[in-house]
Amino acid sequence: MMSFIRPRWRRPAVVILAGAAFAAAWGVRGGPHWSLWVTLFGIITLARGFWLYALSGEDTDAGALAGSVPDERQKSLSQRSWAVSGRFATTAAFIGLTVAVAVNASWWWPFLAILAVTSVGYLLGIGVYQAQPGD
Amino acid sequence: MRNRVRERRTQRGLSQAELAAELGVSRQTVISIESGRYLPSLPLAFAISRFFDLPVDKMFDPDDEEAGR
Repeated sequence: MMSFIRPRWRRPAVVILAGAAFAAAWGVRGGPHWSLWVTLFGIITLARGFWLYALSGEDTDAGALAGSVPDERQKSLSQRSWAVSGRFATTAAFIGLTVAVAVNASWWWPFLAILAVTSVGYLLGIGVYQAQPGD
Repeated sequence: MRNRVRERRTQRGLSQAELAAELGVSRQTVISIESGRYLPSLPLAFAISRFFDLPVDKMFDPDDEEAGR
């Protein structure tokens, strides 16, 4: 889908698009200081995009991942890092849900939603990547 | 698992970066393979073996756990 964008620009482009959407959300939200928030998130987004672009020029694993040109080991490294990220999110959501239930808080449901999403994602991954029977 | 990548590379007078370019991987991956921290995929293992004209079971010796450390 993104093959028309040079590899080195792909991740910065995604970051800038996502950041622009987030900044625009603050604009749509309105309020007394909306322009301040839009400007702040716009600057942060551009800085992160340029930082990723600069990082992608480095001869490192992080540089290859930032530049969207990873080899097989670097892809594996990225997948394992995402797995760690997923475990952190699931564990944090479970702890948050448990605490919310214990203190009878009304903010239990975001933790349940995150737990549900990460759990469904895990099951989806098993379903997609498990060995197919019968060959 | 022992491998002879470093030995063969130095015999040919190649740098890690030059070998990486030949194999289409990063220099960090060549370093990781030589040091035994990364076991390459089968396609990459065969590519390495072909490049050095050595059978894959001679290039990578599963019986020697001490190699590359």
